Amino acid sequence: MGGSVARTRRILKWTGNILLVVMLVWTLVPFYWMLATSLKKDKEIYGFEATLIPRQPTLDAYRRIFVQTPFLKYLRNSLLIAVGTTVASLVLGSLGAYALARLKFPGRGIIARGLIFTYLVPQSLLFIPLFAVMSFLTLIDTREGLFLAYLGITLPFCTWLLLGYFRSVPLELEEAALVDGCSRLATLVRIILPMSLPALAVVAFFSFTQAWNEFIYANVLVNSVDVRTITTGLTLFIVEDVFFWGPMMAASVMATIPPVLVYLAFQRWVVKGLTLGAVKG
Amino acid sequence: MALQANSTQTYRGNVLVEAPALPRRPRASLGLTREARLAYAILAPTLLVIVFLVAYPFVAAIYLSLQSKMVGAPGRFVGLANYAELFRDEVFLRTAWNSVVYTVVAVLLKFVIGLAMALVLDQERPFNNLFRTLLFVPWAVPVVIVALNWRWIYDDLSGFLNNFLITFHLTSNIISWLSDPHLAMGCVVAVVVWAGTPFYAMTFLAGLQAIAKELYEAAEIDGASIVQQFFYITVPRLKTIFITTVMLSTIWTATNLTFVLILTRGGPANRTEIFPHLAYEIALGARRLGMGAAVSLVFFPVLVIFITLLTRRMLREREE
Repeated sequence: MGGSVARTRRILKWTGNILLVVMLVWTLVPFYWMLATSLKKDKEIYGFEATLIPRQPTLDAYRRIFVQTPFLKYLRNSLLIAVGTTVASLVLGSLGAYALARLKFPGRGIIARGLIFTYLVPQSLLFIPLFAVMSFLTLIDTREGLFLAYLGITLPFCTWLLLGYFRSVPLELEEAALVDGCSRLATLVRIILPMSLPALAVVAFFSFTQAWNEFIYANVLVNSVDVRTITTGLTLFIVEDVFFWGPMMAASVMATIPPVLVYLAFQRWVVKGLTLGAVKG
Repeated sequence: MALQANSTQTYRGNVLVEAPALPRRPRASLGLTREARLAYAILAPTLLVIVFLVAYPFVAAIYLSLQSKMVGAPGRFVGLANYAELFRDEVFLRTAWNSVVYTVVAVLLKFVIGLAMALVLDQERPFNNLFRTLLFVPWAVPVVIVALNWRWIYDDLSGFLNNFLITFHLTSNIISWLSDPHLAMGCVVAVVVWAGTPFYAMTFLAGLQAIAKELYEAAEIDGASIVQQFFYITVPRLKTIFITTVMLSTIWTATNLTFVLILTRGGPANRTEIFPHLAYEIALGARRLGMGAAVSLVFFPVLVIFITLLTRRMLREREE
């Protein structure tokens, strides 16, 4: 009896280890291919001399994207818009969530419900009329327009997430502060926000990566090279069905670094926060 | 909400103390309390964003779908004509079938692989944190980059797959992954699964780690096998997480157009055409905005059911 349990344990352990290796290969090979391609010369990328491992690694593709393409401009646009979206989501989300969590006013329930509903309405449904809205506001081809469109994606979820977290902050502290003469907004800044750092981390992570990674709105709402973000900038390496894979993969590597760094920095909270927002926590 | 009922409370809580000299009398504008006015003031930006960037476009999409409208030209109201045209269209019917297959298969695979990943990561072993970090990285990568990279992996002549298979003599012919009508859909789904599995694994792992280990120990003493433990302890405890994750992911999977747009543009011969991409092509390729809106709305009723159920679930989970 005891022997068979130990055997099952051992089998499970080794099945787990083998599965882990398979999953690591499956997950990491595409990254390898991206990196390897970005380090190759063209003759190693295409045709009969194509290699699996770069024989003469070179940073030439990186040099090309910085020198010959507006890549830096795209990076800058992405960074501006992503940081703007993050800051606005943090500030507006906190304010909105505070109102919904702590203040009494007519319509509170409906608005809270509306948040989650709007968060779930997909972009692919909205991009056609949003194009019309942005044209009307003359915000097509502007960073401001894209920033606003991204707030439409991030703000409902961020407010919803913070609302749940703020509610779990004990009331007593705030009541004491209010009695001592703190204003409402001061209690938000001095008491609730410091206690909600994990949720704020998730909001920052979520809004930054959403804005950095977004493609459809960026594709529909922006055309000019000056305003393009990195995700739509990448598609300019496709010219008439010809793909310039070397520079494109170099640019992809560069564009992948920021969100991955943010993920590494925030992952401790993100896993928890995801379950807070999406699933019971 | 009567004004008097709230005035003391508002006084205690609000601006009174902050404003030093003269205590201002609360004005009864619109019959709202000071608290309510503050609430609306700080909620206003969020409400504006929701109304103008989500709610209005949503209603506009419905109205647009009832018009015959080209980009840059005034629309003409045509009632349900767009929808009627769609249901007679063969491409549309093909798309409907594809969308169902694509969504169901992708969600199912993500679920199974995600659960396996979570179970593996929940086992004890050295460096598990590192493995977890690595396995979840695809989740942070921009979808366009995932799609472009995979398009390059699938490339006929120089892509990784053919390159690899030929180097190791696993095939002698070049395989046209994305332009073979029988392979294309499978290849697209594989990419969707690659990118989407970490989200499942993440939420499942969080759920697994919340289960008290004593439960398993007790079950073991009672002689329950590993399989029994899985079905009688693990599965029931993860049920809520399963349902919420699958519903969220179904909405995202069914409505994502980036993968198809980059990988196949719906080809070959519409084999990988799905609703969001068809809508995109019609609206921005053929410049028929009204028809495009109609396509994106056709599958919305199904989504509404999901969204409504999910909204209710998420609210209920909050209340508990």
